[in-house]
Amino acid sequence: MKEVVVLSGKGGVGKSSVAASLGTLLSKKRRMVLVDCDVDAPNLALIFGAKADTSLDVFSSEKAFIDYERCSECFTCVQTCRFHAIVEAEKPVVVPFYCEGCGACAIACPEDAIEIRPVANGKIDISKSNGTSIVTGALKIGESGSGNLVFKVRKEARKKAEENGVEMILIDGPPGIGCPVIASVSGTDYVIAVTEPTPAALNDLKRVLEVVKHFKIPAGVVINKAGLNDAVSKKIKDFARSAGLSILAEMPYDLSIPKSLVQARPVVEIYPDSEVSLEIKRLAEKFEGVLERI
Amino acid sequence: MMEKEIIDAFHEKPLDVPVIGITGGKGGVGKTTVAVNLVEAFIQRGYRVSLADADVDAPNAAMLFGIPLENPVDVTITQPLINEKCTKCGECVRACRMNALFQSKDGKPIILGDCNGCEACILVCPEEAIDRGKKAVGRTFRTDAGNVSLFTGELLPGEAESSFVVSAVKDRMFKESGGSDLIIVDTSPGTHCNVINALKGADIAYAVTEPTPLGVHDLELILTLLDIMELEASVVLNLSDLPGVKGEISRIAKAHNTDVPVKIPLDEALARSYAEGVPVVRKAPGAVSSKRITQMADTIEKRYLS
Repeated sequence: MKEVVVLSGKGGVGKSSVAASLGTLLSKKRRMVLVDCDVDAPNLALIFGAKADTSLDVFSSEKAFIDYERCSECFTCVQTCRFHAIVEAEKPVVVPFYCEGCGACAIACPEDAIEIRPVANGKIDISKSNGTSIVTGALKIGESGSGNLVFKVRKEARKKAEENGVEMILIDGPPGIGCPVIASVSGTDYVIAVTEPTPAALNDLKRVLEVVKHFKIPAGVVINKAGLNDAVSKKIKDFARSAGLSILAEMPYDLSIPKSLVQARPVVEIYPDSEVSLEIKRLAEKFEGVLERI
Repeated sequence: MMEKEIIDAFHEKPLDVPVIGITGGKGGVGKTTVAVNLVEAFIQRGYRVSLADADVDAPNAAMLFGIPLENPVDVTITQPLINEKCTKCGECVRACRMNALFQSKDGKPIILGDCNGCEACILVCPEEAIDRGKKAVGRTFRTDAGNVSLFTGELLPGEAESSFVVSAVKDRMFKESGGSDLIIVDTSPGTHCNVINALKGADIAYAVTEPTPLGVHDLELILTLLDIMELEASVVLNLSDLPGVKGEISRIAKAHNTDVPVKIPLDEALARSYAEGVPVVRKAPGAVSSKRITQMADTIEKRYLS
């Protein structure tokens, strides 16, 4: 079973659109599971207009709880916490969204008044579109622990895949380069890096590909909204060449993408003859070759 | 419901300067574009402005403003260093909830996983056998260009803990912005701790979105977060001329007791200025996109600076 992840560094360059359309095309030849690991803003299922059939609560975060019966208000915990996660009010108050559950405060507390307990910080939704399962991770609003949630989402997806004899898992990754990105990319077989010809997107592409390099995972580049700026497009290609990465596709800027989003169907399904769909079809064909190599 | 103490701490502001947050849930909706152009609109009016780019995973404000990153300062976390006093008792390995410490075959603890610098191992070690080393996880920068001071930071690729860098950018910005009339903070996408941290101390947050079902979904998430944190919210609809679901955007804003006072179409001037790294309100002040952002600045000026 192969795991492929779509990343970008910069948000909003088209990760989910590429994942949805590429997934739609590749699933015609093999059984697949699609996974949304952008747990902060999971949008993949929305592109398919898919509603969750099942939903599981996830406890992938631990937090400090103070027993105020025991607390002597010495505030040692406030001094100890490296994450500024305990507010020094009249009594110490744990700020749940900054607390990493490291337990340092519990060790330091002279009254033994602090306990570390698991908390539900997210959920995993499972939906279906045209027979393909979509496994979506969603972090609770304002929660932390996105990296651990991503690990659990990927584990659930692999379980689903093994049950159903699935050959390939396609992951729609989060933006950025931090914790959830590292959790999304580690142990995968291939990275599709989506970008667009703007200086900001190129900058962020380089940053995320450094993370990918760190994990020694092969990668290819998809340029979305190609034609927006030829000078930056050329810079992307020069960068890819010098980094030894191939350009997998150059998707033109095409209003059929936002139109397809409004209709909640992947663009290759609803506007199969649009220019952008034709390029995604070429991407899918090219990707068959990539799959044979990895 | 958040405890009152947490909400109070969130609204604490080290400086008596108006702080405007620019956020948005979804990535790529134009947060940084709005932030940078607002800054430009205010410096054109003679104000001194601090801009904090708190998206340390993908910091792009400097690029969109066309200014370099200067005055770097390392952001470091504790890295435990095991010294010769270690008796191989294994307490530190058991205390490490991040599973970053392992007991090697000869019994000596070694760091293998992602240590977040929490120091639990140091606290628990009975022999003082762990020294506080330092490890850089990112950098902050400050660039001054005329009346704008840009504070930004970057997480080093391969590092996981963005939150330390976001905190460092915010701390430095507040510490060094005494002479500013206005502070604008640009956040990362999402609704997690880094977004909350970036918006700490803000007077109002503008949630930027786009008229797609994805924009609708993520707007709902960010407005819910702002409600939880009791931070006043307003909405900026970017790409307002895209074929889409504008009615849904207004409906969600209304459900959160706010509205959509700013609508920015993607005109050619905006697209071109973005690619060139020059704010559109400087490059093409007559463009519709420029005018809408200028009107947004008028509203902010009237309310917070007069």
